[in-house]
This record gives sequence, C-alpha cells and structure tokens, in this order.
Amino acid sequence: MFADRVASRVPVPCAAACLVALAGCTTFSDTIQSTEQSLARQQPQVALTQYERLSPSGADRVLHLMNKGMLQRMAGDYEQSTRTLEQAKRGVEELRALSLREQALSVAVNDATKSFIGEDFEQVMVNAYIALNYLEQGKLDAARVEALQVDLLLREKAQSAPNSPYVEDAFARYLTGIVYEDEREWSDAMIAYRKAYEAYQSQLKSFGVAVPETLKHDLIRLADRMGLTEEARGYRQEFAIKETPSVAELLERGEIILTVHSGLAPIKRERAATVLNPATGRFLRIALPQYRSRAQPLAYARLSAEPASASSSRVESIDAIAVKSLESEMPAITARAIARMAVKDAAASAASHSGGNSSGSSAAAGIAGLAINLAAVLTERADTRSWFTLPGEIQLARLSLPPGDYKVRVELRGHDQGVLDSREIKIALRKGEKKYVSRHWIPTNLEVRP
Amino acid sequence: MSGVRSLRIGLALLALVAASGCATKVERLDESQAVDLSGAWNDTDSRLVSQEMIQDSLSRAWLQEFRGRPGQARPAVIVGEVRNMSHEHINTATFTLEMERALINSGKVDFVAAKTERRDIRDERKDQDLNARADTRNAMGKELGADFMLTGTINTIVDPSGDTQVRFYQVNLTLISLADNRKVWVGQKDIRKLVTRSKLRF
Repeated sequence: MFADRVASRVPVPCAAACLVALAGCTTFSDTIQSTEQSLARQQPQVALTQYERLSPSGADRVLHLMNKGMLQRMAGDYEQSTRTLEQAKRGVEELRALSLREQALSVAVNDATKSFIGEDFEQVMVNAYIALNYLEQGKLDAARVEALQVDLLLREKAQSAPNSPYVEDAFARYLTGIVYEDEREWSDAMIAYRKAYEAYQSQLKSFGVAVPETLKHDLIRLADRMGLTEEARGYRQEFAIKETPSVAELLERGEIILTVHSGLAPIKRERAATVLNPATGRFLRIALPQYRSRAQPLAYARLSAEPASASSSRVESIDAIAVKSLESEMPAITARAIARMAVKDAAASAASHSGGNSSGSSAAAGIAGLAINLAAVLTERADTRSWFTLPGEIQLARLSLPPGDYKVRVELRGHDQGVLDSREIKIALRKGEKKYVSRHWIPTNLEVRP
Repeated sequence: MSGVRSLRIGLALLALVAASGCATKVERLDESQAVDLSGAWNDTDSRLVSQEMIQDSLSRAWLQEFRGRPGQARPAVIVGEVRNMSHEHINTATFTLEMERALINSGKVDFVAAKTERRDIRDERKDQDLNARADTRNAMGKELGADFMLTGTINTIVDPSGDTQVRFYQVNLTLISLADNRKVWVGQKDIRKLVTRSKLRF
C-alpha cells in the first residue's frame, strides 16, 4: 500500500528527474578502465594517480582501499601500501556485522548498494600482501603478526563456511610457513607447510594449482629437521626427490625468495536480460555478475645469479579462486535477484493501479507505474565490484646462494619459452639471511574491461 | 494531509540528527580510565603492563643483591628488544619507556642509551671534539657500560568462536646479566579479554 500512496503523490517532473539521475548511475567497474590501461602500459605510478582521483561512495570504501593499497605496492611504496591495506582490514572488521538497512536496499535497488567487504579470498589476500610488504622491507616480526592473523582468519572461515570451495588458502599457508621458517620456529613452519600441502592437494581439482616444486623441498627439509623420519621418507618417495639441502646447510647460505604477481584478476561483468512481460505491459530485468578470465601469458620466472639459478612454480591462481567462489555463491545471488525483480514489479503494479475513477488520476497513475517500472529496470545492476588489481596468479621461486653480493636476473618466460621481461637487481646476502623480492608484471596486451 | 505533515516533521528531525553528527567531537579522558573500543591492544593494556613490571622489578632480590656487591651502587640497564610475537601490531616502546622512566626516577637504577640513541650521542661527541671549547668537551671512551639488558616478548593466544573470541596476552620481560648471561629477574603480566563482535550495524 505504501508504494501506491507514494506513487500517487510523486509529481511527474520529479519522477522524470529521478530517471535521468538513475540512468547516469554507473557501476564501479566502469570507472577503472583507464587505471587498467595505465597498468598495461607499465605505469603503475600513473595508474595510482588516476585511481586516487576516484571518489568512492561509502559502500565502496573498502574496495577503494584494497585497490589503492595494491597500486601503491606496485609503485614500490610499501609503507603507504601497508597503511592503506591496514585501513581496508579495519574497514572489513567494522563492516562484517549485518546491516538491515543495506539488506533492505539490496532487495529494493541492487546488490551493489551493500558495503563491499570482499570475498573470503580477497580478505585473506589483504593479510598476505601486508605480510609481503613487511618481508620486502626486512620486517620479519611484523610479517609474523600478519601470518598469525591469516591463521586466525582461515580458522574463522573454516568454522563459518566449512563447505565453501575456498576454506583454505594454500598460498597464504605457504607464505606463513616461509615466515615461521625465517623466524626459525621450525614446528610452526612444519605445520604451515603441511597445511599448504594438504590445501594444494585437496583444491587441485577446483583451482588447478599443483603442489609447488619449492614446497616439496621445504616439506622434506623441515620434516628432517623435526626428526619426522617417516614423514620425510614419505615425501621423498612421493615427490621422487633424493637430495635437498638440510636446514643447517641452508643456514650457512643466504636465500632469495622471489614472488611474481602476474596479470590482473578476472573481470567481473554484468550479464543481464530485459524482457517485456506482455501480460502486464511492464519490463522485467534481471542482472547477474559473471567473471571473465584474462589471458595469462606467463609460464614461469627464472631467477639466476652466478653460479646458480631457479625456476618459479605457480603457488596461487586468483583467477580460478575468484571464478569458483562466485560460482558457489551464484544460487544465493540469483535468488536475491529474482526476489528483487518480484518486489520491483509489485511496486510498479501497485502504482499503476492506484488511480481513482476519474480519467485524470488513472492517467497519472499509469505514468507513475511506468516511471517506477523504468526506475526498477534501470537500477537493476549486478554487483560487479571486485579487487581487480589483484594479480591473476602468483608464482614463487627460492634460490639459495653462498653469502656475497649478487646481480640477480629475473626473467619472465612465456609459454613458448620467449622472454617476456627481464630485469636485474642487486642483492647483498649474508649468512642465514633471506631476502624477499617481488615483481608485479602486467602484460602489455592486457585485456582491459570494455 | 496529516500524513504528509508528519512525514515532513519526521524528515526535518532526521536531517537534524544527521547534521548533529557532522562536527568533530573531542572528549578528554583521564589516563587511568579504561576505554576499550575494538578489543585490540590499547593504552590500558600498556599501562597495566608497565605498572606491574615497575612494581615487581623494584621489589625483587636482584636489586638488593647487586647493591650488596663491593663497589657497586646502582645497576646500569640497557633496553634491548621486546619482540612482538603476538597476532597484533603492538608498539612495545610505550611500556618499556614508562618502565625506564619509573626506574630512573626511583633513583635505584641507571639506564644507558640504547643502540640507536648511542649513535647520535657519539656523533655529537665527535662534533664536540672539533667544535666545542676545550673545557666543555666530553671525551670519547668514557661511556658507562651496562650491567643488565632488558629484553622481552609479547605472546598471544586467541580462541575465536563465531562472533566471540577470548584473547590472552602474555608479556614477559627479562633482565639478563651482561657479565654472565644470568637471568636475574623475569616479570610477567597476563591479560585476558573477551571480545564480542556486534552482529548488527546501521
């Protein structure tokens, strides 16, 4: 009844003005094309400046912080990036509680009116990237704090959604293992490596990432160090690895740990259908989100310094995780979209039938009904918000070297073995020291959202 | 028409409420008053730790024992690293500085400058050698060597279940004798918190 009371009192010019305003309502992803183009031109600093110009709505605050933090990291400003991502983390914490107002809006208008707090994997990635920032700055203890938070977060996720395809993050576990090993907390490192190994195995089908080559050696090394001879033997057999340096041998050398963050996360787009219902003469529209993967030209990275070299292996496919996570949520999203369609249609129907007997008021009601129907159709947008500056995939390589000064070459190779990118970095290694380096690489022919 | 009028009044009231929330409001708090907002480590925790540690360190045997040694008046302490092994980013300087201040003011303990502070002081002394008047110069090589080093750790255990979690913080501080690695004092402060997250928001 409320709808028809409002409809009968809304003057026509006002409704028209509302329509114009609504037609201009674009989704978040429409505004980030230029940022992506700058990234493809290898200009992260420009991309950051462009992105910072956007003023996000209240509901998009966390998303804005996530993207900004990542762009700051790509531009090499780790300190600012950590600060921004910490804000995003706090934002998620504050917004986790259910908002009845936003729930109502999401049924009446669209899902994009809800405050963005990211999918589970996006929340874990915030911690992972803060940890990487700290590691690259040589702040191991601070990275350990993030590692503990990842543990907590994953424990909570496992409790709240035990059946989701993403209950474990193999890469995040692996990274925490590396942090604990660097802290020489062998038992914690062993547990984390083991959890990573289990996650890679159980998620192989859904995410398509096999147990990384480096992790196989890490498992054997730590199992040996812990005196778990049976387990170590099992790993040796399973991975067909005979020789691997022991913890003691590794501590005599230094180590370079390289992470390559390649490409961008898939594009979240809208898939919508608008039909005219001949029975009522009103439009019906339904809009759902859909991921579109971008091509991944990187095959592997080669890390070489006289006299040794190492190749990277894939440790995380954010592309696959994003697609599968959305797939598992599709039933709920679809149900909400259908409910929304019904609510909006009922409002339009109530408005068009609200007129009295006089011809004037029934004509006004007809216009009001049409206005509400059009507004309903125009506001029906899919929630296409996602942390688009995340890489499509992450690769990792470990290279141990005797202490000394090195010129390290990082070569990115394509699927045809061609060199996609090559860079030299100077690294000084001390005994027992681990240096963390990363490379964000976006292909020049990146598929930019339309 | 009464419906419309009440709607207007309601809207006006709403605007008023919204507007009143716009101005920044500052309220000064007594420093001993506990205000917990997010459940994370805050000033109250830091204060509780320093209070406990100051009281404990001044009342234990190591101080008497040191002063009883021939030719020794006050032990000299240097602040080492307090490692944060917890799941939160915690600034440990707040309670080590508080402790340093209280111990110095007690007149029973001397503190010597820590590694990073020393560098600046030595630079200044070097500068004095060149630029200061001869009778005001401070010579190199006359620094007071520390007898003890204060180190420590913060550890946490978090037990989450749904929207509730129990957070347990344990702060350990240790005084280690630089002469023979003996631990002469270990202070400990435990803090437990029950944090319940709100299920609903506006």
